[in-house]
Parts: sequence; C-alpha cells; structure tokens
Amino acid sequence: MRTSSQPFTRTLRFLYPLVVVVALWQLVVSLGVVDSSVMPAPAQIAARTAALLYVQPVLLLYLGVSLYRVAAGFALGSVVGVALGVLMGAGTTPRAALKPVLDFLIAVPTICWVPLLLVTIGMGDATIIIAVFLGCVFPVAYTSMNGVRSVPGDVVLAARAMGAGRAAILRYVLVPGALPSIITGLRLAVGYSWRALVGAEMLAAAASGIGYMIYAARAFYDVNAMFVGLAVISIAGLTMDYVVLGAAERRTVQRWGMVSGT
Amino acid sequence: MMRCDEQSTGIEVRGVRKEFSVDGRLVVALDGLDLAVRPNEFTVVVGPSGCGKTTLLYLVAGFDSPTSGRVLAYSSDVTGPGRDRGVVFQDLALFPWRTVLGNIAFGLEMQGLARERAREAARQYVDLVGLQGFENAYPNTLSGGMKQRVALARTLACEPDVLLMDEPFGALDVQTRHLMQEELVHIWEAKRKTVIFVTHSVSEAVYLGDTVYVLTARPGRVKGIVDVNLPRPRDARDDRVLDKRGEVMALLESEVRKTFAFGDVERDSQDS
Repeated sequence: MRTSSQPFTRTLRFLYPLVVVVALWQLVVSLGVVDSSVMPAPAQIAARTAALLYVQPVLLLYLGVSLYRVAAGFALGSVVGVALGVLMGAGTTPRAALKPVLDFLIAVPTICWVPLLLVTIGMGDATIIIAVFLGCVFPVAYTSMNGVRSVPGDVVLAARAMGAGRAAILRYVLVPGALPSIITGLRLAVGYSWRALVGAEMLAAAASGIGYMIYAARAFYDVNAMFVGLAVISIAGLTMDYVVLGAAERRTVQRWGMVSGT
Repeated sequence: MMRCDEQSTGIEVRGVRKEFSVDGRLVVALDGLDLAVRPNEFTVVVGPSGCGKTTLLYLVAGFDSPTSGRVLAYSSDVTGPGRDRGVVFQDLALFPWRTVLGNIAFGLEMQGLARERAREAARQYVDLVGLQGFENAYPNTLSGGMKQRVALARTLACEPDVLLMDEPFGALDVQTRHLMQEELVHIWEAKRKTVIFVTHSVSEAVYLGDTVYVLTARPGRVKGIVDVNLPRPRDARDDRVLDKRGEVMALLESEVRKTFAFGDVERDSQDS
C-alpha cells in the first residue's frame, strides 16, 4: 500500500544527490580549483537570480513568455501528434501513406527548421511556437502510432463481438489501450519542446524569453545569467514532466497496471 | 436473432475449409469440417495444438470468414460479429482501463444504453458471478479466477444466445479451474445458452459437455464425436465419466502423437 509519506521520501531521495553535487561544486570554486568567471559558484548564481528577480526584474517576465511559447507549441504538437499517430496506428492506408514521411521528418533536428521559418515567417512568437510544435509533433505521432498497434488483437475483437463499431473501438479501446505509449511520448516531448524553444529563442526571439536571455548574456560576459537560465529551464521542464504528466501517468496507466511504477 | 424450435440447429458448420497465408506459405487450418450444435446444447471441442480450434471459434464468432463452406447461426449465414454470439477469449481480453463494472457494462453501452443505466443493468451480472464488492476494482488487482468471472459476466451481459469460449480456464490453477467449471455449469443451466467450448483438457471436456467433438491434427476436421449424455453434476470418479474420457482419449491420442512428431508440445495434456 502507498503511504502518505512516500511522495516526501521520494522527493528527498531525488534532491539528495543534487544537494551533494551543488555543495561539492561550491567547494571546488571556493577553493579556487576552477575559475569562477568560467564556472560560477552556486552562491554567485543564486545572487544573480535574486538580481534578475528584483533589481532588473526580467526573469519572471522571460519565464512567462517562454512558458507561453512552450505550452502553445507543446499543446499544438501533442494534439496533432496524438491524432496523427492514432490515425496511423488504426488505419493501414494512413500508415502506408504517412509512415515514410514521418520516418524522414523525425530524423531532422528541429533547429534546422528555424532558418526556414525565419525566412518565411520572420522573428517572433509564431516562429518559436512552430519550432516547438515541430519538435514534439513527430515523436508524439510515432509513439502514439506504436501504442495503438500494441493493443492486443483479442481486446479489439472482444469489443467488436460486443457490438462496438469503428468509432467506438477507436475511442473506447485503441486510445485508452495506447495511453501508456501516448504518455511516454508526451513526456519525451516535454524535453524536446524545451530544446526546440531555447534554440528557436536564440535565433528568433526579438527581446524576450529564457533562451534569449542566455544568448544575450554572452554580449556582457554574463556567465552567471547563463547558468540562471539553464537552471530555470531545467526546473521548468522537470516540473512540467513530473507534476503534470507524471501525475497523469500515476492516475491512469499505472493505476490500471498497464505500466509499472517508477 | 430469432429463436427457432428445438428441432432446428443453433450453430451449424458445413464443409468449412480455412486457409491462411503465413510468410507466403499456404496453411490449411481447417478442411472439410462439419459441426452441428442444437440450441442450448453444451458442445466441447478438443484437439491437438494448432488443429484450428480457435480458428473454428473465430469463424463462428464472425471475426473471419471461411475460405469455403458455410457457417450458420440459427439458420442465418454468419457474416460478421453479432450480439447473438458472445465470446470469452483465451487471454480474457479484459479492458484494463475499465473497472469490473465498466468492463461488464461495455456491451450494454455499445447497445446504446446511457453509461449510468448500463452500469445499473450490469450489476445483476456482477451478482451472477459473485463479484459483489469488487465493482470498482481494476482488473490488474484481481486474481486469475476473478478476472475469469469478469470476462464471463461481460460476455453474458450482452445476453447472447450463443457462448463461444476459447480455452477460458487454461491459465487457472487446478482448484480454481474446477470451481469455475462448476460455476459455468450452474450459469449455463440457469441461462440456457448454446455453448461451444474449446479446450485441451479431456477431463474438462467430459465434465462440461453434452457432446464432445474431437478434431484431427492440422488441417482440422472432425475425427469423432462423443455423446456424453450423463446427468450433472458429474463426478470425476464415476465409471461412466471415466468411460467417456477413455473414448475421447482414444480418439485424441493418435492425433496428439501426429502433432508431437511435428515438434509441437501439448501444453496441458498431463491435465487430461
């Protein structure tokens, strides 16, 4: 049975190695083993974070802008990706038509699309959101397709024998049956989204976003700000994955015994 | 589908041949198979591994159509799955994302009943198989025997005339298996269904069936029919039961040997 203390213990077990690493890091820089202008100590990064929050308060603004872009791109990519994937998993004709295209596109690093988007759409949110969309739509489509195909044939036959038509089989059998793979795909896509976001923000953001902040910091040799950006992205990505999708996974497929707990 | 009088047949399989293409090679699963099941009769089909028992069941279920020959249910050609024929699968094929009650209500929902009404109606089948108290459990938390009950209840809830069962008790331990067999007989006596039950086990066949069909090794056709015709409940130690088992065994043995020579091992022949 799961006890109420378990999430707490789990968080502690997760944080403990990180605390050790940060402490060692601080020690190494404080002792002068590493040059703090290349590798700033955690304390310096914390101070810079405070400055970016209160002195020149751009951090929350940038984070808000980045979150909006990543959420929009991810949502769009997830919906289209799941729809495409389910279609490809359920139908032989869509699969035959789309699978080669997908195989080709999935191999293209997302950042390669950005110059093209800059030429056609220009700088700004639209380009960045589309880049994020492109970063997650293909992997989500792929995992969703595999998820639908992994639904046991007998389960589909059972539904047919009980009078389910094509639409009902799709809705009540194939989609829930594919959910373990769909959630895995979405969790991967969170990581892909942030990667695409940061890359696209460096190239296409006019003057906002965490990626822009990191990139702009190079002009001022502001290594501290770069690390702040890095930490923020990592924490935001982790939260999106663990809190939102992790919870969805625990409440559905793990509870149903379709995947084991992590 | 209309119920006809007792003289007519429930399920009729006439001269059925079924071919499959496996890696470009032609495999004949069934050839010249004939079978007739009266309404409300409990028919058991036994045969060596790979003799096409499941293929036969799927043809009657309407999941697939024969290469030649005819399959009739209550005098109409089977052209696809229908609610008049319910199937219990070998690996149960439960929906892990639905609760016990959700699984059992599925067929009723597919008939157009609103979700709540379907669940209400499904409760009597929960009672029928003795799963009270487990309505809201997910299948992964249930034991093998309980999952088996869910599968049976889910099929019965569609109120089919015909029950097609594909080695449903194969994965259960001996005691649970026997309990399930007893329960199935009770339910069948109460609900009067036409049953085709596929199994490996000779003892199970003779315990359950009015009639036992023994199929040959692939391509499957009827090797012999044993009319069990003994009063229920049947006792495994009863001489008449043992005699019938002997008859079935005699028909089956040479066929199993044939299969064995090809390298297939009977999964639970020791259980016979």
